[in-house]
Amino acid sequence: MSDNNNVHISSYKEHFSTWAALILLTFMTVAVSVFGAELRTLSVATAMIIATVKATAVGYYFMHIKYDPKIYKWMMGTVLALFTFFMIMLTIDYLTR
Amino acid sequence: MTVDALPYTDFYKAKKGIWSWLFTLDHKRIALLYLYAIISFFLVGATLGILMRLELFQPGKDIIEPQTYNQIFTLHGVIMIFLFIIPSIPAIFGNFLLPLILGTDDVAFPKLNLLSFYLYVLGALFALSTLIFGDGPADTGWTFYAPYSVKTGTNVTMSVLAAFILGFSSILTGLNFIVTIHRLRTPGMGFNQMPLFSWALYATSWIQVLATPVIGITLLMIVAERVFGIGLFDPSIGGDPILYQHLFWIYSHPAVYIMALPAMGVVSEIIPTFAQRTIFGYKAIAYSSMAIAFIGYFVWGHHMFTSGMSGPAAIIFSILTFLVAIPTSIKVFNWLATLYKGSIVIDTPLLYALAFIFNFLIGGLTGLLLGALAADVHVHDTYFVVGHFHYVMFGGTGFAFFGALHYWFPKIWGRMYNKKVANTAFAIFLIGFNILYFPMLILGIMGMPRRYYDYLPEFTSLNQISTVGSWITVTGIILMLINLIVAARKGEKAPDNPWNGITLEWQTKSPPPLENFDKMPQIPEGGPYNFPNAYKHKH
Repeated sequence: MSDNNNVHISSYKEHFSTWAALILLTFMTVAVSVFGAELRTLSVATAMIIATVKATAVGYYFMHIKYDPKIYKWMMGTVLALFTFFMIMLTIDYLTR
Repeated sequence: MTVDALPYTDFYKAKKGIWSWLFTLDHKRIALLYLYAIISFFLVGATLGILMRLELFQPGKDIIEPQTYNQIFTLHGVIMIFLFIIPSIPAIFGNFLLPLILGTDDVAFPKLNLLSFYLYVLGALFALSTLIFGDGPADTGWTFYAPYSVKTGTNVTMSVLAAFILGFSSILTGLNFIVTIHRLRTPGMGFNQMPLFSWALYATSWIQVLATPVIGITLLMIVAERVFGIGLFDPSIGGDPILYQHLFWIYSHPAVYIMALPAMGVVSEIIPTFAQRTIFGYKAIAYSSMAIAFIGYFVWGHHMFTSGMSGPAAIIFSILTFLVAIPTSIKVFNWLATLYKGSIVIDTPLLYALAFIFNFLIGGLTGLLLGALAADVHVHDTYFVVGHFHYVMFGGTGFAFFGALHYWFPKIWGRMYNKKVANTAFAIFLIGFNILYFPMLILGIMGMPRRYYDYLPEFTSLNQISTVGSWITVTGIILMLINLIVAARKGEKAPDNPWNGITLEWQTKSPPPLENFDKMPQIPEGGPYNFPNAYKHKH
């Protein structure tokens, strides 16, 4: 339970920077879908990558994974890896079918 | 939790009245609620299975119409998978025993535990409601494959909603166990001092938490497709049915390990106790559970070799599938090595554990054949798959489930069953089981398709042998259950530790008190299965 005793107070700067980054990434998602519509598969992949970066930022800074023991980072990383593998295999199937 | 010299009142007598059961937060009582519900659904599922075997006794119509047959095999699958096998060992024995073997007083979230149970009941009611409402139970098979599940007029929506709700129950149980194992182990018990059953539950819980949400959303997509005609899976409106299969099996293959891993955990408990010997390769067995859980995520495509998935993807999945055999065989070799030069006591639980190994070996090896791309295309969707699956699930997990019931029976009820009757029932059950399912492997090789209502005359004799096997199997199961029910009510009082086990649950009274332990349990020196130390403690 020692991790619960670690006091961590995030700075306003960190919170604000994360928020600004999330807003920027949201604009990027919209921009890709509007201006990159002709890219088709690539625009979907870009949107997925941006969404993953946003989710990571939320988890890391807002949900304080940053301060948690390494095992939680490993757990999240494993889930992300499994999802990535699923998407890779799905893509292989679609592209070679 | 561990105040010395408390007066002993077992958890049955600690509180009284129906409400003390319906709103209980005690993990042991919740486990028993699960037990009674799950056994009931098992009997319903088995009855449906018997009806199918009776219909298949000879070609043509015997007792039911083709449409009824389709609905019966679907309901049989839904009940047996979602209401029996998946929750069986974790929800019953995991709930009852995890806090006991970890030396604590309850699971981490008792209220969440009760919520899990009621979600299970709600899901079960949804599944059974298809018998009454709409146009009858789904006729799609338990896999709900699109596009048929999108188009059929039967009550698919209620069936998939049942599976959706049952998924929540499964997730909450898994979450509860993960936190319990991380946070509530008795002082001094590290991960590598945990009994192997808790390792198996830990690996299983991760699958429940990570994989179940995928099937949840996939099943909702089926409902959305049926209601709104979105075009996700139905090719006639732009959907892709192969996508459904990808999404279904990315959950449902790991779910096979939700069913199998706890069974392996049970066997890992029974064998060292009845060999009175330290388990061989503790870490290998513990970590192989995690390895099976992990690798299990990478092999789902082997269910789709003939579905129209691309060749390169099929080759990759076939190679990956063989990797699962490695940690599985590590377990089997370690169990056998544990028995070697042990002081083996042939008692009912060990018989079930050995039957598990025998049946699971047949199930596992036939699984390798199905994982091999070149062989699978010949036997896919034949009775070979039905035989393989039942050898793994019923011959494996089913036997381990009943083995666990016999192993922990004296701990749960504080009474002992008639061992002669138990052994007789076991023998009938094992013989019947093999007569029931082995012919299916041959029928599959001969080319009989699965899920067919009718068949060619050359398949008749093997189908009849199989049906006779179902009667023998049921005889064994009924005898076993009667023996256990009689024992629970009138059996002679069992000692607290009838098998000389050394995991912590055997250090408390039978049945355990409400708070599990009256005094702090002692962790065996040198590991959870260090039997020589246990004898030193005793004498």
